[in-house]
Amino acid sequence: MPSHLLVGVGNRDRGDDGVGPAVVARAAGRLMGRVPPVHVVECADPADLVELWDGAELAVVVDAVRSADGGAPGSVTVLRTGPGEPPLPGRPWGVTGPGGSHALGLAEAVALARVLGRLPGHLVVVGVGASGFRPGAALSPAVAAAVESAAETACRLLGVEEAEGTGDTQVAGAGHEDDTPPPSRP
Amino acid sequence: MTQRLASGSHLLEVGELARVEGEGAMRVVVLDGQVTLVELRIAEPPRFFEGFLRGRSWTEPPDITARICGICPVAYQMSAALAIENACGVTVPDEIRRLRRLFYCGEWIESHALHIYLLHAPDFLGYEGAIEMAGDHREAVERGLRLKKAGNAVLAAVGGRAIHPVNTRVGGFYRVPTRAELEQLRPDLVRGRDEALETVALVAGFDFPDFEQPYEYLSLRGNEGYPLESGSIVTSGGSAFDVADFTEHVTEEHVARSNALHARLHGDQVFTVGPLARYTLCSDQLSPVAREAAAAAGLGPQCRNPFKSIVVRAVELVYAFDEALRLIDGWEGAPVPAVPVRPRFGEGHGATEAPRGLLYHRYRLDSDGTILDARIIPPTAQNQPGVEADLRSFVQDHLDLPHSELTRLCEQAIRNYDPCISCATHFLDLQVENS
Repeated sequence: MPSHLLVGVGNRDRGDDGVGPAVVARAAGRLMGRVPPVHVVECADPADLVELWDGAELAVVVDAVRSADGGAPGSVTVLRTGPGEPPLPGRPWGVTGPGGSHALGLAEAVALARVLGRLPGHLVVVGVGASGFRPGAALSPAVAAAVESAAETACRLLGVEEAEGTGDTQVAGAGHEDDTPPPSRP
Repeated sequence: MTQRLASGSHLLEVGELARVEGEGAMRVVVLDGQVTLVELRIAEPPRFFEGFLRGRSWTEPPDITARICGICPVAYQMSAALAIENACGVTVPDEIRRLRRLFYCGEWIESHALHIYLLHAPDFLGYEGAIEMAGDHREAVERGLRLKKAGNAVLAAVGGRAIHPVNTRVGGFYRVPTRAELEQLRPDLVRGRDEALETVALVAGFDFPDFEQPYEYLSLRGNEGYPLESGSIVTSGGSAFDVADFTEHVTEEHVARSNALHARLHGDQVFTVGPLARYTLCSDQLSPVAREAAAAAGLGPQCRNPFKSIVVRAVELVYAFDEALRLIDGWEGAPVPAVPVRPRFGEGHGATEAPRGLLYHRYRLDSDGTILDARIIPPTAQNQPGVEADLRSFVQDHLDLPHSELTRLCEQAIRNYDPCISCATHFLDLQVENS
């Protein structure tokens, strides 16, 4: 497992739930040839995350977040939730995954990994406020417009300096002050 | 959430039903000590994908329908491919069918491991969920994750990747794995089979409410082992019919409260599909190691207690590992990864055994392969009347239980089916009212 991982959680055919895969697809080209290499992957089942980030020093996870709790559609939120950092708030993250339909949401997958002592060295979640999860729907305009910003944020978190933010990223969560790359582990 | 509204009346309500693949609403009304209403309410158009498929090419259903569910994409790919091939008059060679069977073993492993350990076991061990359970039963949860990973490895080896596999096509696969590639899976599968046996031993020790289902069971039954990727249909009432006749025997009715269609057998009978149905109808087709595990767990040739579905799933987990190893050991490659499938005007039917039960697809094609009409009947839609009937009977028999306990058991009764609401519909809430 490469030490750096970028994961897009969601289902491309469920409206704004596809934003995770869309963001990592946008970011993937900019991460090619990166040293250390960044493993870019889509994930439809958050339960797989515990194994996916096994052994990774840094994992950046992009997922849709329910707008009611996670900001306006298209807003980009960054949360650090690795070892020693606060858990994800359950409600906006607990029901994301394919169409908001998964039994084990992102918050639960992170919490499970925390209990098992299997979090990556650093875990950063990039949430994009979503407005709808209708089967077969495309990304809503506000969310589609946020893909570039979220991809830049993800790249920056992974230490890709060329990416410049568009300025509409909001940072949330205790234990997090900015969206710069996490420090290297001792 | 439990609320007591007034002396002698109360409302039991679970705003969101946890640990099922989806969200939705269930309402149970009790009047004068009698359960008068049990209904599953569905709020989202469930037929989107059928409409989406109309006008598309005959080559597309495996890819499109695989995206309906992130948990069982293989089931959708396999049923779709079978139905299109059936419409075009093609039967794939045995090598391709066996590779599909191996592919399906991977899906059963990852789906059953997820449900047993992360979704259902907490009910029996008295935890809110897998996170709480992991604190006290770390090794069990780790075992569940290892088993799931082994299933994903099979999916990736055959399907190109574990999530929304890309290697399936009408007529077969784009590429078949080499023997060496499949043999790399063996060590984890051998270990997985041992851990699946440990799983059977674990879940067999759980306490199960007394409950027997009187309904008919329906599953595929094939010629090569326990039903997975092929077969014709049998029922516990003694019916046997071809997949092409499925909709003659299984009819769907619109229910006013729901956008989902409710399935009935032979006009008006409640029936269920899934592990209990497969086991009751086909336990004689299990491999010796899986049969021995079932016997050691105290299962007879049939199982009609839905609360014991977790034991049957564990036995099926053993079988899936055992069968995957058998198929890998016998794999000698395939002369071609796929056979040509030329479109023609007509209709085709396909059914396979998804982890949750029989998944039926039907397509009507124009002469150029354009899809004129599509019909998909997922297992959860077939099981909805059974879930309601279980709850009606179970609540009636346990009205003396404390409300919170009854609510918890109702949730558990729904999870017995591992319902995949994202396939059938969306958004389920459980609400039990006593008036």
